[in-house]
Amino acid sequence: MSVTSSPEATAATDTSADAPVTTVATLEPVAEAQASAEAAHGDTHTTTAHAEEHASGGLPQFQTEHWAGQMVWLVIIFLVLFVLIAKVFAPRLRKVIDTRGATIAEDLANARAIRDEAEAQAKDAAAETAAAHVAARKLAADAKAKAAAEQAAAQAKEDARLNAVLAESEASIRAKRDEALSHVTEIATDTASALIEKLTGKAPTKTALTAALKKA
Amino acid sequence: MADPLHQFQIQKVVDLPVIDVAGVPVDLSITNSVLAMLIGVGAVIVFFSLTTARASIIPGRFQVMAEGLFGLIDDLAESIIGHDGRAFFPFVFTLFLFILSCNLVGMTTYFTATSQLAVTAMLAILTIGTVIVVGILRNGLGFFKLFCPSGVPLLILPILIPIEIISFLMRPITLTLRLFGNMVGGHIVMKVFAGFIVALASAGVAGYLGGFVSLTAVVALTALEFLVAYLQAFVFAVLACVYLNDVVNLHHH
Repeated sequence: MSVTSSPEATAATDTSADAPVTTVATLEPVAEAQASAEAAHGDTHTTTAHAEEHASGGLPQFQTEHWAGQMVWLVIIFLVLFVLIAKVFAPRLRKVIDTRGATIAEDLANARAIRDEAEAQAKDAAAETAAAHVAARKLAADAKAKAAAEQAAAQAKEDARLNAVLAESEASIRAKRDEALSHVTEIATDTASALIEKLTGKAPTKTALTAALKKA
Repeated sequence: MADPLHQFQIQKVVDLPVIDVAGVPVDLSITNSVLAMLIGVGAVIVFFSLTTARASIIPGRFQVMAEGLFGLIDDLAESIIGHDGRAFFPFVFTLFLFILSCNLVGMTTYFTATSQLAVTAMLAILTIGTVIVVGILRNGLGFFKLFCPSGVPLLILPILIPIEIISFLMRPITLTLRLFGNMVGGHIVMKVFAGFIVALASAGVAGYLGGFVSLTAVVALTALEFLVAYLQAFVFAVLACVYLNDVVNLHHH
């Protein structure tokens, strides 16, 4: 500690380009002083403060003889990196990112178009189904109506046939009854003539029988 | 015990000649600082070369990482600068990746290039230089309207203009010192606590507890430093965008 603060040491710390060994040597006592843990912080502080006092001491960064070389190299390295980024890396990355964006946008547009198409198709299918339903219902109703009409026609025909048969039968019965009734006088005449002939032994005349029957 | 400042010491790795540029000696030797930058930026270049060489629409894991970093800064530039943000994206992205990679190389304990004042100062100079060049190219002398906001009463202008000029001049200094201070401070604290572990543990059984506490602190600080490494790179990128926006959209002021 005392060594660092002494004027001799500071003079030695004011190094030039060809005396790097001196710098290390002067810094050595500081390091030793720091062996005690409590003193270490204070020492670092002293060294820094010391460096600020004498621009070229303490912190090695203030040794200006190394500045120019570092600066020149930095500019060279920086420019190399700059040119590579500007001409190679950035365009490549921008291209791939833009391509990705375009691809995603395109895929999305395609997907959207396909979805719209599918929706339209679904709508068409629904419309077709509805139309088919209507047609089927109409067909069923038609069939029903036709069947009913056919049945009604058949029924009417059958009714007509039966009515005709009935009328015919009634007519024939009436004719037969009339015919039978017309024979009644004849049978009665015959019967009466036979009865009289049996009783009297002499056949009555026709006129007498007719008159008698007419009285009866 | 190791000196916590020794980690910032510049050492030559490959000796190269010193050249004189306008009377200023420029030592082109590859130092540990330069090597750390080369390692960090080299890793960035390898990573982006591999991930973007066969970039596919359906990305792999590493491509997702690359696109994540790309998207982060791209969105940042567009949200702050607006439609013109794309033009400045390569610059901001380079800044971000450069600082992030150097910070992360620092976390692997090799060397933290961003803890060098020369490096952070040069980054700030590059940023402010770009801002000034872009401002003058786009606005001509209208660039100086930056120091004279419109819609301000005339009476206030004599006070406001010096304040604006000073705040503009402070920008490179704050950019430099923010990154520098964060990296230096974090790494010194980590080194100091790591030193405590050895110092206390070697003090005997009584020191074991203290050593263990220090060890816990180092683990926690390392996690924090990873956050700081990312955050400082991001903050630098955000500020670069903000400063560029000032000159790009000057007429909106």
